[in-house]
Amino acid sequence: MYHRIFQLVGRYLVLVLGVVLINFFLPRMLPGDPLDFSTGDGLDTAVPITASARTQLAAYYHLDDPTLTQLRSYLVDLFVGDLGLSISRSVPVADLILARLPWTLALLLVSLVFSAGMGTVVGMVAGWTPGKRRDRLLVSISGMLAAIPEFLIAMSLLLAGAVGLKWFPLYGGETVFTDTGRGASYSIRQALDIAWHLILPAATLALAGVSAFILVTRDATAGLQNEPWLIAARAKGLSERQIALRHALPNVAPHLITFFGLRLGGVLSGAIVVERVFSVPGLGLLGFQAIGARDYPVLQALFLLSGLGVLLAAFLVELTYLCIGSAGRSRR
Amino acid sequence: MTRRPLLFWVGSVLLAIFAGIAVLAPVLALHDPRQPLALPLSTPSRHHLLGTNDLGQDNLSRLIYGTRSSLIVAVSVTVLSTALSWIAGLAAGFVHRLESLLIGLVDLLLALPDLPLILLVLTLIGATQANVILVLGLLSWPAFARVVRAIVIGARVSPYVEASRALGGTSAHIIVHHLLPATLDAVPTKLVLTVRYAVFAEATLAFLGLSGGNTISWGEMLNQTFRDPLLFSRDVWPWLIFPPTVAITALILATVWVGSGLTTHRTTVRSGKFLP
Repeated sequence: MYHRIFQLVGRYLVLVLGVVLINFFLPRMLPGDPLDFSTGDGLDTAVPITASARTQLAAYYHLDDPTLTQLRSYLVDLFVGDLGLSISRSVPVADLILARLPWTLALLLVSLVFSAGMGTVVGMVAGWTPGKRRDRLLVSISGMLAAIPEFLIAMSLLLAGAVGLKWFPLYGGETVFTDTGRGASYSIRQALDIAWHLILPAATLALAGVSAFILVTRDATAGLQNEPWLIAARAKGLSERQIALRHALPNVAPHLITFFGLRLGGVLSGAIVVERVFSVPGLGLLGFQAIGARDYPVLQALFLLSGLGVLLAAFLVELTYLCIGSAGRSRR
Repeated sequence: MTRRPLLFWVGSVLLAIFAGIAVLAPVLALHDPRQPLALPLSTPSRHHLLGTNDLGQDNLSRLIYGTRSSLIVAVSVTVLSTALSWIAGLAAGFVHRLESLLIGLVDLLLALPDLPLILLVLTLIGATQANVILVLGLLSWPAFARVVRAIVIGARVSPYVEASRALGGTSAHIIVHHLLPATLDAVPTKLVLTVRYAVFAEATLAFLGLSGGNTISWGEMLNQTFRDPLLFSRDVWPWLIFPPTVAITALILATVWVGSGLTTHRTTVRSGKFLP
């Protein structure tokens, strides 16, 4: 058991190192020079820079140090949480990220929980009678849902919920310039206001992720239909509902744990787009603004953070499996 | 002859129409999509059937030319990605020394969230259409490379490969005549999935402002539309939002339908139902 955990930790440490090294080497290996003041669109702005100024700048930013020296200082900085300065805002990238992180985390968690819950229910309903019309309909709908890019789902919800029905706000994470008072009622009202703003973005991410959960649950449930214990439970006279909740669900759940971990990367990618449509001030909007400003320290930090987050989630899933597996073995 | 689902034919016809529009764009478009021709943000009229955008360019002509960039990206990415995954998969399955290195790379690329990586690379090298194709192609090969490797490993120990080797077949001969054909079965699925991925990704990247300065694409049209903070107070907003949205959705759904039609066909052949 411990041997296997060590193996797992070792494997993931290699992957983490891979992400960190990619992050370090990408800007250095790709064409382009940080001291060429180019817009990258083929329209080079005329910023004349003399050879001596160039050497000075390169020395100031340690660009002419050997790569290994640069790598060492990069790793040391990373270790103390120094992600560099943002180009467009002149504040540390780490501060920017920390300020935006809660919004994205809230969106991620709420949407993951919703899509897992919705996916389990719909998937079990579909897989309960595999091959029947209800099953085929639900599976094809979820297939179509998976084929639609997140920003199209986001726009449809925005048009329906905010433009058409006017139930939800058009953009933003909270109502600005309002005086909601002080004290406990203030916090409650603020929380409600934020929840009201985040319903549409969270629903978008939940819908974008739900089809994977539906298909996994559906296949797992359909696979159970010939199990002897299920037939025994039916013969015992249990209602279908009892069979589904008490007997089938615990057997489907492990598949869902895997997916919960795997979806994280997809939801992170989706958040970039969805936060842009709804102007939620989270990491995704930060990334979108960084694209416009060619602020690559910010984008590097976002890539690093999302890469590490996804690896952590995958690691936890595998660890859970190891623990479940060994618990099962020892009980037997 | 097998019967294919109705949606397969609907998807094929849609794809054919899109291809036709892309090829005939200069004939079909009545206006220059890059020239400001009328009042900005005007609602549909006889001259501009879908109205104009915030620069006064004709929306219909932009929509027609947008078909081109979607299909160019889709086809190029698919060719590049399929070729790469073939090479990598064959190498990983056939050459022992490369196996662990390639599998490590595949694992790492599959584990990473793709959009943040694509955004970083495109911002560093500059977002032109060629770069978008290059980046999407270079990042989308790992999944199929794994499939190819699995098939190659299975086929490598099969009797017919052994026989070919015993008869003096060289490695190159075995790869070209035995291992490569063994993987052909999985190719239609890969093609469809990659086309879908490329259309999806191109639209998303363009929507985030990464389509290259002069490229006209559906995602870019939506990006331009959503830059306007007063969008929904203008009468023209449905004409700015719906046409590109419908076009993207239709292209992706057509690909999905063709793909699922092809796979049902393949499984029925595999299970032997329609074979004599």
